[in-house]
Amino acid sequence: MTKLSEAYKPIQARSIPKAPLNVKFDTLKKIMSYKRAKYCLAFLFLIVIIGVFAPILAPYNPNKLFYDALLQPPSKEHLLGTDAIGRDTLSRLIYGVRVTLSVSVFALGITFVAGTFIGLICAYIGGVVDNILMRIMDILLALPSIILALAIVAILGPSLTNAMLAVGIASIPGFARLIRGAALTIKSSGYVEASRSIGSSHSWILRRQFLPNVTGVLIVYTTLFIGVAILDTAALSFIGLGAQPPTSEWGTMLSEGKDYLYEAWWLATFPGLAITAVVFSVNFLGDALRDVFDPKSKG
Amino acid sequence: MTTSLLQVRDLEKRFRAQKSFFQAKQYVHAVNGVSLELNDKETIGIVGESGCGKSTTGRCLLRLIEPTKGEILFQGRDITKLSKVEMNKLRKEIQMVFQDPMESMNPKLTIREILSEPLIAHKIPKAQHVELIVKTLDLVGLSEKHLFRYPHEFSGGQRQRIGIARAIILRPKIVVLDEPVSALDVSVQSQILNLLQDLQEELGLSYIFISHDLGVVQHIVHRIGVMYLGEMVEIGEKEKIFDKPLHPYTQALISAIPKSDPDEVKERIILTGELPSPSNPPSGCKFHPRCMYATDTCRSAKPEMREVEGRKVACHLYN
Repeated sequence: MTKLSEAYKPIQARSIPKAPLNVKFDTLKKIMSYKRAKYCLAFLFLIVIIGVFAPILAPYNPNKLFYDALLQPPSKEHLLGTDAIGRDTLSRLIYGVRVTLSVSVFALGITFVAGTFIGLICAYIGGVVDNILMRIMDILLALPSIILALAIVAILGPSLTNAMLAVGIASIPGFARLIRGAALTIKSSGYVEASRSIGSSHSWILRRQFLPNVTGVLIVYTTLFIGVAILDTAALSFIGLGAQPPTSEWGTMLSEGKDYLYEAWWLATFPGLAITAVVFSVNFLGDALRDVFDPKSKG
Repeated sequence: MTTSLLQVRDLEKRFRAQKSFFQAKQYVHAVNGVSLELNDKETIGIVGESGCGKSTTGRCLLRLIEPTKGEILFQGRDITKLSKVEMNKLRKEIQMVFQDPMESMNPKLTIREILSEPLIAHKIPKAQHVELIVKTLDLVGLSEKHLFRYPHEFSGGQRQRIGIARAIILRPKIVVLDEPVSALDVSVQSQILNLLQDLQEELGLSYIFISHDLGVVQHIVHRIGVMYLGEMVEIGEKEKIFDKPLHPYTQALISAIPKSDPDEVKERIILTGELPSPSNPPSGCKFHPRCMYATDTCRSAKPEMREVEGRKVACHLYN
């Protein structure tokens, strides 16, 4: 131990280390050690790239009509064939990535912000507030999220924006409940009590003590939620309540394709495969993340 | 004696123990009429077995648990009547060190962030933060090279040093130490105890030292209070109590301290029976079912605190 008198010598006389650049690649490395997760991450990255560069990558304008090529099977000119009014399926599929991505980000944003907020508030305040909010969440949870989303779209009117909104709102209860559960364990921890004994403000405690410790749960469930969001929006579009034609959205394409299932199998197959592949990889990634953040769930 | 820094009068904490909505209201008296005084630069030890309410007492002093009744006078001001905002300001003067340093520190924050928390909470200008943190780290025997490490990178003793640093960084008047060394190895315990004593001298701190280990308490405290089932049974100068414990419970506790000299003849008082449930405490003197001197008076009447041989004791034996 330094002598106490020495401890008060001018601080300038000594070098205070600067904060190291605390970029942590540990988590990423761990994720990469899961083979499945690695491929899924690569695939999703590819999807994002396709979405961003859609105008360059797509062979045609997605809404361009080829009157001389209606319901064409896959060929050299149209790699994935054309639909009943002569639009190129591949181009529509590529532009569909954009819609799918923006839908998931938008819906995710709503769920993430509102769910985290409600969950944390419920856990932190507790008592009556917790009871009232959580009972409302319970009522909403009792309905399948797609039914809830249907109801919301029915009220707001069918459009892609409303579908995103509906999917986002419908997933808040589940998310809030998860965050509340995670936050409750933190609330009873020693460091929150220590914070209170120090006299920290509520917002500080929530931001600095709760948030860093729920990030693991947050990341895992947001990832898993992306899959649900994509699926639900596609479902809403499929039944005509989401993206409206001629928007090239995968659910809408699937819905249009189902009428020609016997004559033109490619119309429904490729959008279906695309949805499946993306949701699959998102879910696999989510599972791997769960293992990374919670070593106990391994096995 | 001049006016004390901290005066606790008849502190009481009841917890509601209601098993179902239809049941009659039941209460557990965790702390029942505890009074104590703490002077400047003094250490008072609160000892007792687990469940006797010593930690609850400590937490009540900081209003981490709201006391049900009683007064806590800090420099003459009753802190139980302060608003939450005023109380938060006053927390600068009364800080706490917790038992398990791993538990009491957020594993996701660096030492620098952990130690800035009190500074941010009490609005110390940001320019002074680093200097204060490094000085405080020096005081507890750590250095600036530890600033950006995480709690799990430290040993138990170092971690408790950080816990102490966090408590003293605001230069409080009183530090409540809740079993600060019971999670540590014996060799590390003595280092931490020495550190606490050095800090007391250097910074003029007053300690409330909560522990179940009389051997540890003997080292560091000036006065000692023995608690049993939420009540103070004996309180006074350390020397007097260790030389001649009066309350039968204190006698039993002191006889249980291991002696270093194997030849020393010692009489070990073995208490029989279990610690009664605080939700259904015995009548009269709460200690009577386990006391070897118990009489009929003990079973019916509650003993009052009395001044006996230079200390206060609550026992019918000394009427």
